[in-house]
Amino acid sequence: MKNIALIFILFFSLATMAQKELPMVTLTTLEGESTSIQKTANKDGVTIVSLWATWCVPCIKELDAISDLYQDWIEETGVSLIAVSVDDSRTVKRVKSLINGKGWEYDILLDTNNDLKRALGASSIPLTIVIKNNKIVYRHSGYNPGAEYELYEKVKEYTSK
Amino acid sequence: MKYLLLGIAILYTTLSFSQSPDEGYFFGGFESNSQWLLYDKGLNFEQPDDAYRANNYFQLSYAFKNFTAGVQYESYLPDALLGYSTAFSNGNGVATYYFNYKNEKVDVTGGYFYDQFGSGLVFRAWEERQLGINNAIRGVRVKYNPTDYLDFTALYGQQRIGFELSEGTLQGLDANIDISQGLSIESIDIKMGASYVARYQDVGAQLELPSNVNVVGGRLDVVKGNFYGGLELASKSKDALFFEGQLVSPKLYDGTALQLNVGYGQKGLGINGTFRRLENFNFFADRQAAGNQFNDQVVNYLPGLTKQQDYLLTNIYVYNPQPALVIENAEQRAGELGGQIDVYYSIKKGSPLGGKYGTKIAANFAYFGGLDAEYNIENRFYKAKFLGSGARYFRDFNMEVKKKWSKTFSTVFTYQNVFIDKSIALGGFIGTQGEIRSNVGVVEGTYKLDAGKSIRAVGQHLWTKQDQKNWMAFVLEYNFNSNWAVYAYDNWNYRALGYDGEDSQTHYYSLGGSYTKGTSRVSMNYGRQRGGLICVGGVCRFVPESNGVSATVNIAF
Repeated sequence: MKNIALIFILFFSLATMAQKELPMVTLTTLEGESTSIQKTANKDGVTIVSLWATWCVPCIKELDAISDLYQDWIEETGVSLIAVSVDDSRTVKRVKSLINGKGWEYDILLDTNNDLKRALGASSIPLTIVIKNNKIVYRHSGYNPGAEYELYEKVKEYTSK
Repeated sequence: MKYLLLGIAILYTTLSFSQSPDEGYFFGGFESNSQWLLYDKGLNFEQPDDAYRANNYFQLSYAFKNFTAGVQYESYLPDALLGYSTAFSNGNGVATYYFNYKNEKVDVTGGYFYDQFGSGLVFRAWEERQLGINNAIRGVRVKYNPTDYLDFTALYGQQRIGFELSEGTLQGLDANIDISQGLSIESIDIKMGASYVARYQDVGAQLELPSNVNVVGGRLDVVKGNFYGGLELASKSKDALFFEGQLVSPKLYDGTALQLNVGYGQKGLGINGTFRRLENFNFFADRQAAGNQFNDQVVNYLPGLTKQQDYLLTNIYVYNPQPALVIENAEQRAGELGGQIDVYYSIKKGSPLGGKYGTKIAANFAYFGGLDAEYNIENRFYKAKFLGSGARYFRDFNMEVKKKWSKTFSTVFTYQNVFIDKSIALGGFIGTQGEIRSNVGVVEGTYKLDAGKSIRAVGQHLWTKQDQKNWMAFVLEYNFNSNWAVYAYDNWNYRALGYDGEDSQTHYYSLGGSYTKGTSRVSMNYGRQRGGLICVGGVCRFVPESNGVSATVNIAF
């Protein structure tokens, strides 16, 4: 038990010094072109990256909630959001229909082989990260109603930095 | 183990202070899922000898310029969680490792890797811890992109089974060409791809068996304006027919697969339809693995093409795909045929039905049945029609309406109507136990309070006259802030009001909580597990009924 406690303390201390560099991973656009977060992200400002899937209810709730506020966020901070779908081939065909049906205005990328998900060590989704200059400055997994306001506080904080 | 981790931590700490883009960095994660099983008189559940079980995964990679290398350590001590493949039982050790070099044109991996060709119809190596699937290939993979409209993949290796490797050896080739880009066509987007996967397996003294089985596939994807479509075809060469380790026929059988997808999208409306026909199309890394109950040694990816349901009661009667050929006295089937249609629609903000925030509607219809075929059981012969109506396996109509009423209150209404062959939901010979017909209604409401607090409540009811009769379920969830959350639910198989028969009414209750901060998440719960299929992404794992305490820890770094 003592060992387990030690291991946990160790991991938590590791986790608090979270990885800062954004991993370089090849993703595809809805049109099938190869790209990456680095190529799609805002060059100077802040970018939100959200890992989601068509079958993930909290993910959809989070992106729906942000969608209602997105125009205001862009006007106030110039932030952009890249929604990276980790849908596998079973559900990836739904991505296009779903985003159209939802009317989302995010940049949509596909991580069908889950390379980005693995590189970020994301065992569950939604995973939301905030990046600036290709560095991960904030990270949160899971969604509960209202978490979008907390996320926006972080966006504002790093926009002004 | 302790010293290894300590060493890693020290190494990591020293290195992470000097981090810049030109220098290397570590990344990885730790996941632990454990359970403490408890005796439960009501469920008739005996505490097993290994009452405490845990699945642990520790992954660490290091990236430096164009190189990345990593290991994954796994332990299943003293045993894997209930319902996991016996290949993991009591296992402990380095499960996968890899070394990768990547530049603009070439990507070379040695060791264990994950990949898929096309939609995975002929090949997919992937990891899904909740299902106990990790069929990474150990070998060599080379990817080459000579231009921005061509790419090739070649791989060779053996599939992972627990901490061992498959008997059969796989080799694969995949090529993709973006025709529109190659020929600079703007008006229409056309892509093509071709795949080849071969399995070599020693036949020993059974010379009538083929040592090589090949699967070839081709695909075409087209996008024009708001319309898009894709067609994928595949064929498998003749292979022996095994079931649960036994050779069941002196004949050899080939297989085919066809998948068609079409869709239309514009702002506020998305429609997508998929059709699939599979005939004797399961493909395993070992011919004898056919029919195993743990998804072990599966080479290709044939998920159930139905909607992944989100609620407790909509997940009781779920479809499990049926690609296999079976010619037995008790059961005859040659594959499956069916499809689904999804519609997503947003009612505009400000319209009478849309209200201030708009209303979002999603509907889905899915149908799958057996192939229309004739069987000669004595001679182990069959003949299937390309199209035609075989036995119905599954039909699902469901609809969901999401509505935000104010800044603080939103609701979701869901209705589902399902027909399912009882053996697909519960096991047994398909077509022999009759059908289950069920209706499910779900109402969900979320209310946001001040300072990030929120309450979510769900009420659900399932009506059926078959199987275990009626169910009702309630979920209550409270979020203190974005870090802390607690929930409680009861999944009550009450059968009928005032039921007093031979089978008892059963409550499957659970309560728990979670803490999330940054890259870490810890959760714990106590309760009863309903027995049945647990499905992730269309692939299902059977879990037995149990009672216990379970805990999960996830940390990424």
